[in-house]
Amino acid sequence: MDYKFPEQLFPSFYSCGPPDPVPRYCARSWGSYDRVRPQAGSGPNSSWTFTSRHQPRGESWRHVESVPVPLLSPRNAFVWPLKPPNPEDFTKHMENFYVDHCFHAFGCMSELLGENFDFNGNSKSRYRKDSVLMGRVNNDLHRLDFKVCQQSYKWTRMKRYAGLMSDVLHEVPPQLLGSLLHEELTDQTDRLLFPEANTGGALAFIPFKQSDSQHGCLLYPGNPGLDLLTFHQVALQHQRGGSSSVDTSRSSFSFQLKGSIRQISCSSLLTQCCVGVRSNYFCGVWRFSETNEPRLLQVVKTAEVSTCINVSPHVLGEVLVASESGAVKLWTVGRGMQKVRTEESNLYFNAKSPWRWCEFSAHPRVMLYADRTGAELTDIRVNPVSGHTLFRISSASECRSGERLILSKYLGDAHSFHHLITTQYSAYIMDERFPCVPMLKWDHMMESPPMSCHIVAGSASSGSEERTTKVLLGSNVSQEITMLQYSGGRAEACSSRGHPQALLRPRESLKHLPAQIPHRLETATDRLSSPAAGLTCIQKKSGDDDCLCVLQLTTAGDIFYQILEPEQPNADTCKPPAAEDEHLHQPAATEPLQPASSETKTAKQLPPEPDVSETSSDEDVVGPTQNVMTQRVVPETPERNPTPSMDSEDSEFEPQSRFLKRLALQVVVNDDPELDRGSDLDTSVTESGNVAEDVAQDAVEPNNVQETVNVLSRTVASPVKLSSTTLVTWKHWLQKLMHISSDKKKRSDSSPYFKIQTEGLLQLPDECASEKEHVRSLRRDLKSCMSRRSLLVHGDTSTPFRTPDVVPLPSQVDTEAWTDRLNQRLTASWQGEEAWRSWWKEELGMNREEKMHALRRKRRRQKEAKRAAGDRLKLTGSFTSSVSYQSGLDDFSDLSGWSSATSQSAWSDWEGRQVLSQVLSQEEDVLEYAAPSTVQNDTPTPTPTATPQRLRDGRGDRQTPSKLNTFSVPQKQTQTSQRRNKRSADGYLSSLFAQQDNPSQHDCYYLDEEITTNPPPVASTSSQFRNSQSVPMGSFRADLSQDFFSASGSSQSQFISQSSQSRWGSSQASQPKKKKSRMGF
Amino acid sequence: MDDLDRELGPHGPVEDYNDFSDDNVSKGGTNLKRPNVNPAMCKETPRETGFHRSTRICLEQIREAVLHHKWQEAAEYMACYPQLLEDTCLPPAQQNKELLWRISTNILHHHPNSTMEDYNNIYERMKHSGVRHHLMICLEHSFHLLLHGQNEDAKWQLSSAESWRHGKESAAQHQRAELISAYRSLLDYVIWCDKRFSNSDNYFDSDNQGMHDHFRQASLNLKEILKKPGVWDPFILSYVDMLELYDDHEEALKVLNDYAYNNNFPPNPNAHVYLYQYLKRHDASEKNLMRVLKVLHVLVPSHELMLDYSALLLNSENKTDIQKALGIILDMLDFTCWRTNMDVWKCLKTVIQRLEIQEDWENVVCEKMALREDWWPALHFTSFHASKDLEENPELWKVKASLAKILCPKQALKYTADRVTNGKRT
Repeated sequence: MDYKFPEQLFPSFYSCGPPDPVPRYCARSWGSYDRVRPQAGSGPNSSWTFTSRHQPRGESWRHVESVPVPLLSPRNAFVWPLKPPNPEDFTKHMENFYVDHCFHAFGCMSELLGENFDFNGNSKSRYRKDSVLMGRVNNDLHRLDFKVCQQSYKWTRMKRYAGLMSDVLHEVPPQLLGSLLHEELTDQTDRLLFPEANTGGALAFIPFKQSDSQHGCLLYPGNPGLDLLTFHQVALQHQRGGSSSVDTSRSSFSFQLKGSIRQISCSSLLTQCCVGVRSNYFCGVWRFSETNEPRLLQVVKTAEVSTCINVSPHVLGEVLVASESGAVKLWTVGRGMQKVRTEESNLYFNAKSPWRWCEFSAHPRVMLYADRTGAELTDIRVNPVSGHTLFRISSASECRSGERLILSKYLGDAHSFHHLITTQYSAYIMDERFPCVPMLKWDHMMESPPMSCHIVAGSASSGSEERTTKVLLGSNVSQEITMLQYSGGRAEACSSRGHPQALLRPRESLKHLPAQIPHRLETATDRLSSPAAGLTCIQKKSGDDDCLCVLQLTTAGDIFYQILEPEQPNADTCKPPAAEDEHLHQPAATEPLQPASSETKTAKQLPPEPDVSETSSDEDVVGPTQNVMTQRVVPETPERNPTPSMDSEDSEFEPQSRFLKRLALQVVVNDDPELDRGSDLDTSVTESGNVAEDVAQDAVEPNNVQETVNVLSRTVASPVKLSSTTLVTWKHWLQKLMHISSDKKKRSDSSPYFKIQTEGLLQLPDECASEKEHVRSLRRDLKSCMSRRSLLVHGDTSTPFRTPDVVPLPSQVDTEAWTDRLNQRLTASWQGEEAWRSWWKEELGMNREEKMHALRRKRRRQKEAKRAAGDRLKLTGSFTSSVSYQSGLDDFSDLSGWSSATSQSAWSDWEGRQVLSQVLSQEEDVLEYAAPSTVQNDTPTPTPTATPQRLRDGRGDRQTPSKLNTFSVPQKQTQTSQRRNKRSADGYLSSLFAQQDNPSQHDCYYLDEEITTNPPPVASTSSQFRNSQSVPMGSFRADLSQDFFSASGSSQSQFISQSSQSRWGSSQASQPKKKKSRMGF
Repeated sequence: MDDLDRELGPHGPVEDYNDFSDDNVSKGGTNLKRPNVNPAMCKETPRETGFHRSTRICLEQIREAVLHHKWQEAAEYMACYPQLLEDTCLPPAQQNKELLWRISTNILHHHPNSTMEDYNNIYERMKHSGVRHHLMICLEHSFHLLLHGQNEDAKWQLSSAESWRHGKESAAQHQRAELISAYRSLLDYVIWCDKRFSNSDNYFDSDNQGMHDHFRQASLNLKEILKKPGVWDPFILSYVDMLELYDDHEEALKVLNDYAYNNNFPPNPNAHVYLYQYLKRHDASEKNLMRVLKVLHVLVPSHELMLDYSALLLNSENKTDIQKALGIILDMLDFTCWRTNMDVWKCLKTVIQRLEIQEDWENVVCEKMALREDWWPALHFTSFHASKDLEENPELWKVKASLAKILCPKQALKYTADRVTNGKRT
């Protein structure tokens, strides 16, 4: 029936331009029907039905177990580092090379020069008289074995020798070696992130008979180098509701190859199977059948790296081979090769990729030639060959820019005219009868591009139920497998069915298994995370009892399988015992919390039988293994679940709310969904017309969704459960893995440290006896705890840990006690360079004139102030009293009540301005002081840093009364003002402005300022200034921000104060009361 | 449609999210060898806030849940994901909205307890949340209604979307608008069909005015979209069907010819099939039919209609036509799908029988088989095939066995019945 072409295709626009520059995000085809097409009903009257291209309903398959199961026991393997090497690290690699292969690196010259150097030191007689003694260099060389501190060990001698001889010693010039290494490392990075050599996959399963698809031969690479081709007879054993496994007990054949296996392609015609195997420079073809052992037919060596091998599904013994030279050859085994097509460049645009691919098609003499830019169908009968486009990266297939073809596969088993084409974003089904236009397109949503695929043919649309065709895509780096389903392509147009489904990944399986000891966890994780290298599938199709067994190969040579079953429509009635999990509402199979709780649950359900592990450990691996059962019984698995027991109990009753809690979702309990829905609509109605209508409406939407969520989900999720056989398999696998990895001598990449012997240096007096006693008692406690299955906590130990002797801190140095100059200087230098410098200035008398000048000025000012303000005495009185108030702020409740009252009352701008002006005038004062001499310290005081720190710090510090208390009275005026340089004044001001918005906080602060810094004349100016209401606030700010901050001059500030003074008289009378309340304490 | 300014913005209506382009890698040429790897749905940006991070992680969780078919979990995450829209500083807000719509409909598609009401909610709200995806969501909404049998509602949706206008249109929007009118016309055609069947005796009565109105409405848009390059199988079928009733053969032929032979159109085999079927319905000459099939043969040598073609060729008295028929049948047998088809083998037999009357028939066969002689035996006449054919279809075996000697006279074929008695092959 494959010859039928769909009578009606889905409508679509067609343009063959370059891909749209508008980047499309992922999930572009999610949730949409894409297109529909009508189907006239049989009856005459309005029986039109419509079919969509993307049909939401498909077959649903679910896993029998929630982890993939290892097929074979682990063998020695080379586990590649997960992180790609950094090309910039090439010096490190060069170093390794020089150390590890010094003979290759320096062999020749060391032979020649060796005579002239004497490394032995004592046996002079054997060497020439003029040989250089290298005894000390020898010592240095010995030290190279260790990691030593680069600071304390200077390699001066070595450096001199290096300067002398570095350009003659190397066999390969370091520059050349370095650039080559860099290139190589870049290449390796690319290969690790995108291992295009493995395209196609090196795992295959061939059923012996078409009728019985469960028995067959599994082909996979063995050995650490993946260079041992293995033919292994396997059989899938599966019963619905029973245990399922892959039987590997039967015989296997293997062939040692001369390179790691990159791709295995096979086809079987009736009973004969033909296998093509590709490694980088060799391609070989084997032939076997159920009764005949595999035998090698022919091997060819290619000049260029071969990128593809494909065995013909039409004629046994015909193989297509593509290589990086751009040539594709048809290899008729036994008869030779015929070049069928060569392309120097890429097909449609220059993608700069030598990767080529070739496939057979529905016609035995038409083949598909592909590279990163597209695929062409080439008729190889005509010469010169001509091709017509099947697929290209273009807008016809709605590609994105940057998209590249990754894999192409002829889907002969499913439909003889269909080809699967994958890019890093999408998967396409192309029909070669209608090239250029994709019949179907999915977003496969995989993290890394799919490099291998397997097709599971569905049954043609005959009979009652049509089975979909399944496409399994496997990516390499991320180990993903995605299952896509589609149907049609014959009488009906293709349509995708269901949603792409991600299958299990080996690297995630450890989460579902009993916890491992950390160092084993690391080994196991590394091993399980090695990239995938192939994918295949065993299908069982016998009536109702369908199942799929998906096998995945990793580069470490491990094979994992997972078994999928179609979900029964009434899944509740018949559940296989091993898999009552994976229900639709399984909230968190991949969540870190869930597995742990499930473990505890399995532990509860299974009676603790330690002999299970004993009976099963009959093999020779008895290393330091953990007991699976005990492990499961112990409820605490600290690396995963902080409070597992609680959670697991909770989850039994209300997993939903727990889950929501974890999500930090609000839990909406809707008893009457209809009512709530109505109110939802109401809100959306009231919100319409709003400016943010759109956002608001969308924000309403989650409620709806959530509501549905809450209403719909009443099913209680059952925990993930693994069958005991799986657990045992995994246990053995992990045990063996540990066994192997402990055998393997791991090359430590870091040399040992060069250590000084410190034994006995810090030994305490002999307390061995009590120590032993202590350990014994601890053991006893531990045992009792284990028997109780509780944690050994500190309180449980019968002999509590001895608290270590408290070593007293050295007493604080009293700087006052040391009055000599050296000590003064040291004290000053502890306070920073500034203080130290000033100390020296002081010492050397450099600032004598400045000081005198300042002192004189201060005097003058005080005099002026005395003259100007009559009430100066009063102010000083208030000043001292306020100090006492400050110190006792906490005690007097009435006073704190006052402060709260001010904070409650709205802070009028009058008051704001008042304070501002006050501060400004202060600053003016300060600046006048600071301008002539920035540093002016008579004596280093013990707490001088408090002031600048206070200025720079956040406001919170200033507002706490306790902090205020620390400001000692004696340090007031001069010190603070002098130490305040212009910068701090700026910061101070800006912080002040920032505070204005929130006045209630700052009462104390301003009070404090008044206390500590207000010299009497300033107070007077401020009192003038704050009354000047006519100066608008805004102008102040503008002035300040523009000029005051940037200009160092006091002229600016003087200008302000002058202007305020000039307006003083007009407004003074209006505000006497407030002034009093402010100053009155 | 709150933020037209932002959407239309300084960049113009659809256009460039170039800043957010995720394929800078390939563009910048830093690494041409490695195609840029599939980005996650939402990428980590260097300047992301905590809010962005949590939405990104949420999206990642949704993706995980959806890919593992945990619809309930996905729905729960989805309940808090729309917070994303409250963020105003994410630049591609449009994309986010569309993504939001896609994920939510996707979940609704698969969630066991979703209702039509939920769907309508999502469609209606998201439709009005942005200009750029309005038409797309309208179209999808009508599809949803169509798939659930609510044809009238769907038609109403499409009509309202058709009348929706919004300033500048991008190319993509323009295409969607055209699709919307085409689908609306298709629904007009459906109504037209119903009316035709309901009063099949006299179409041209005055009381059938409604039916003709539908024809007029439909034909206008259908004619329009058929001018655009693309695959329009359902549209052209309905258009031609209507034209046939109104006896506008000229237009119908013109449209069909255009669809089949216009080079701007993709090489759609159905275009030729429709033309052939139309010609056949209207009793066109065999010559015309053969001309159509000849083109189809070049395009799709494996098409079913090639049997018709060979039959037509056999009907003609021309000598070369029979040779052509031979070539066509052999071409069909090249393909996997015809290999065990009885009809084709029988057809081949008749062709050979007809040929045998001619003098140099052996040369003709040899010539045709010259290209195939190295692989046809392996494709059809191995001992495996013999045993399989004998087992499954002995009649086929007889036909094939009789032809084997004729087609490959020089080779010793193993396509015999011996093997079965011999048992296992050595």
